[in-house]
Amino acid sequence: MIKHSNKTYWIGFCVVLALLIVAPLVLPEFWRRFLTEILIWGLLAMSSDILIGYTGMISFGHSAFFGLGMYGAAAALLLVSPPNMWIAIGFGLVAAAIVSLFVAYFSTRLRDIYFAITTLIFSQIFYVIIFTWTEVTGGENGLAFSRPQLSIPGIYSTPFTTETLHWFVLAVVTASYLILRRVTQSPFGMVLQSIRENEPRTRAIGYPVERYKIVAVMLSGLFAGLAGVLYAIQNKFAAPDFVYFLISGETVIFNVMGGIGTLVGPIVGAGFFLMLRELLSRMFGDQFPYLIPLGFIFIAMIIFLPQGLLGFARRWLNR
Amino acid sequence: MSVQASTDTRSPAASRGAAAPILKTELLTVRFGGLAALSQVNFEVARDEVRAIIGPNGAGKSTFFNCLTGVLRPTGGRIVFNGDDITGLPSNAISQKGIARSYQITNILPNATVLENVRIAAQSRRHAWNMTAHHSAFTDINEKTESALESVGLRSKAHELAANLSHGEQRNLEIGIALATEPLLLCLDEPTAGMSTAETHDTMQLVKSIAKDLTILIVEHDMQVVMELADRITVLHYGEILAEGTPDEIQRNPKVLEVYLKT
Repeated sequence: MIKHSNKTYWIGFCVVLALLIVAPLVLPEFWRRFLTEILIWGLLAMSSDILIGYTGMISFGHSAFFGLGMYGAAAALLLVSPPNMWIAIGFGLVAAAIVSLFVAYFSTRLRDIYFAITTLIFSQIFYVIIFTWTEVTGGENGLAFSRPQLSIPGIYSTPFTTETLHWFVLAVVTASYLILRRVTQSPFGMVLQSIRENEPRTRAIGYPVERYKIVAVMLSGLFAGLAGVLYAIQNKFAAPDFVYFLISGETVIFNVMGGIGTLVGPIVGAGFFLMLRELLSRMFGDQFPYLIPLGFIFIAMIIFLPQGLLGFARRWLNR
Repeated sequence: MSVQASTDTRSPAASRGAAAPILKTELLTVRFGGLAALSQVNFEVARDEVRAIIGPNGAGKSTFFNCLTGVLRPTGGRIVFNGDDITGLPSNAISQKGIARSYQITNILPNATVLENVRIAAQSRRHAWNMTAHHSAFTDINEKTESALESVGLRSKAHELAANLSHGEQRNLEIGIALATEPLLLCLDEPTAGMSTAETHDTMQLVKSIAKDLTILIVEHDMQVVMELADRITVLHYGEILAEGTPDEIQRNPKVLEVYLKT
């Protein structure tokens, strides 16, 4: 029985992956970039699902991890010449890891809303530092840099095109998904879910809950940082706006819309949200306050679809 | 229930009095403000004994369990378990030392299956930090889980959601979770609370069967259960030990009759 539904799962996985691989060959230029961007935001949302959906900790500070990944990549691309994609990824991940260790150490002592507020405050602290430290971070204007080449060190190097960038992002997001899926199914992942279900009981059967939470926050922060690196590579700039808490809020909304505790749900949620925003501004023009109808749609979804778009498939997706 | 009733599970703890006690408290005290929930309790349990703790409501039974399992930090005194001082350790550390507990109010993972509930406890000793293997891939954990499910008679319900079990089954699942951590000492907080007569009977047989290779502390209000299961009984009253002895001695103790059994 389990074998059978595993088979349908992998067939579904391959179909979606194939569609995403073919997409840039058939879509017009704008939508190609748009799809790549959805994948990047989806990776950010997916990383926070580790905390929201699997561990039961709502983080409102994911913009800090995302932003630090972005600025880490920016530092590498500006300081190292010629700009190297892998060094940018390395810098971004190290920056995100340091910040997430710092945030995790202090915030995991708190639970529920207190955890959420603490992560929010930390992300705002990083925002203020980045916004005001103009000599290093470029302040309000951020940093602009050139895009590195797509390279396999020592073998191959070529400038990114829209297609190859899309495939590169797709490869990173798919690999991240497979890694995170495996982690959530591992004994460690089961402990996180046990913490979500019943924290005192998890402690009582012998788990040092705080340590698991710290590792969960770090893991989540690392993949959020990776999303930040990808965004930097795609858009060739880093700006303080991406460390601002609105990004964290959107991350939570992607999760809720798509279905928490599914990993792919948040990607779908990000796609749904960004598509809606794009459609609304196309229908009514750029000046249209799209957040108002978006807010109504969000409220309606909370009421009529509280599990999110993929919530119904939660158990199946996690098998 | 597949458990066989054995005619005599009472291990003659008294006869091996020379062995060091597995659990010992010295002057254990817990105060909530001015109220002493436990005052200077000196308590010893021998290895493989089944010890019942009885007493009226508010006597300090649950407080005592909370101290032993690290939920509460005692105000004073010492707890020595299996040669180690465990006073004030957090509950996860105490669990790793070998004390497991079932709760008075059912405390399980309701949205997980019975199997998952037990397996998460079984993997707490080994492979807990593994991030790269599937959680069901470990034969040692699966065997431990199976045997814990078997001993509480829930093997046939392994794939049901814990929330869908009957109250009695959930109570037994509690014991299964505790057993899966392979404890040396099992603390049962009113294991038959809210159960029907038939369920109570089954749970008693279950406790008897697991008592063969385990030290058990049991808080219980049902005197019939206590008298049948326990090797020795400790009576708590207002946070102090009022009496201690075999079930026969306790039933004849005038002080105990006065404060507890008579009513």
